[in-house]
Amino acid sequence: MPDKKAKFILIITVLILLLCAVWAAFALRKPSGQRVFIIQENKIIQELDLASEKDQEIRIASPDGGYNIIRIQNHEICISEADCPDQTCIKTGILRSENLPIVCLPHKLIIRFAEEGEQP
Amino acid sequence: MKYQKILPLLLIPCLLCGCAQETAVSSGVPESSKTEASAVEPAVSDLFAMDTYMNLKVWCMDGDAALQEAAVLISGLENTLSVTNPDSDTSRINQNAGSPVAVSDDTAVLLREAVQIGAESGGSLDITIYPVLKEWGFTTQEYQIPEDSRIQELLQHVDYTQIQLDGNTVIIPEEAQVDFGALAKGYTSDKLMQLFREYGAESAIVSLGGNVQALGRKTDGSLWKVGVVNPLSPSENMCILEIENQAVITSGNYERYFVGDDGQIYWHIIDPKDGFPADNGLISVTVIGESGLLCDALSTALFAEGTEQAVRHYQQSEQFDMILVTEDGKILISEGIEQNFENISTMPVEVIAHAG
Repeated sequence: MPDKKAKFILIITVLILLLCAVWAAFALRKPSGQRVFIIQENKIIQELDLASEKDQEIRIASPDGGYNIIRIQNHEICISEADCPDQTCIKTGILRSENLPIVCLPHKLIIRFAEEGEQP
Repeated sequence: MKYQKILPLLLIPCLLCGCAQETAVSSGVPESSKTEASAVEPAVSDLFAMDTYMNLKVWCMDGDAALQEAAVLISGLENTLSVTNPDSDTSRINQNAGSPVAVSDDTAVLLREAVQIGAESGGSLDITIYPVLKEWGFTTQEYQIPEDSRIQELLQHVDYTQIQLDGNTVIIPEEAQVDFGALAKGYTSDKLMQLFREYGAESAIVSLGGNVQALGRKTDGSLWKVGVVNPLSPSENMCILEIENQAVITSGNYERYFVGDDGQIYWHIIDPKDGFPADNGLISVTVIGESGLLCDALSTALFAEGTEQAVRHYQQSEQFDMILVTEDGKILISEGIEQNFENISTMPVEVIAHAG
């Protein structure tokens, strides 16, 4: 009987620890400052979490023709290619600061960090 | 029987987690602010207007309604002031040069302010420079280096002192043309602050193409942190400013420029004195003050004035603070912002004292 009681306590402890781990993983899933919005013509078209996003390229077609290719690499984001005339979006480089969004004026495309608590 | 004992035990971790989660969610938010009129999270809007990208954030109960009205306000001002819209006040003034034209209150305010800052800056801000700016291609992005004779010809009609304003009626000389590119965004951000105040907001911040203006403080009571772009590396900030109820507006040579066939760089801030890109020792000017309109106009004026004259202008005025970056890579800041300025660049900083 004392043997069984010890087993119970062990199982319960493990359960508590497991559930706490699950909760922690859930609660800490979104570190602040890594959420990024892609905005086209004043609308948020995509939300990305740079902390978990895999390396990839995303092609965004402009409604008026034209395109931008967004590159995510090592949890950083930039525009790697575009057919806009000024190429300012590419020259901006990697998104680093909240006050320096990546802007492609000709294609009305923005990449910026999300505000804390801001939902698309 | 055994299970009856186990079941309540199984509930313990669930309860623990339940409590833990609740604390985690509410911990970021002070209890008191939940009951106040101001919202915890901002209403945010991204929009393209006045040839630039704008980001607006406001914390108030009716945030979305405030932003909708803000968008209407912005497009209204754009329609009134845009030099490319044929029905704007600006176009009507230019098309009817030599004759009186009735304009809106907004346009009249801008004309009055432009003439005054023109005078204070010794003509370094001149809203009649537009034909020269156009000749360089800065308005169409079809850049070219104009012939000297052509610039001289156009400069004959550049003179803001010839603008006659009586109430809401304006006359400019024949052949002259005005545009409000150096003031419109600053005026717009002033109007936005006024609108957000009417909505009861105590916190708001807008960026109109990098020109920032803030209402009040952040909702947690701390000052706003605003980055200023490094003109030598425009994808990075060079400093962080802490502000409250102020505008931070920058004119820099990196914003719009082209490389001529001669390999030289030509930028969009034209010196009204010679019709060439202003090259008087500065590569970036940031003006900090309560009026967005004043900051916007002054950032252009001080850039054209050049280092020495800009310092003198600051010392004679009590209305603004400034950050100058010289072409040899030095930062000059006015003493009024010394306490709220953090240099994050490798450039050395020198503090300019106010006269007297």
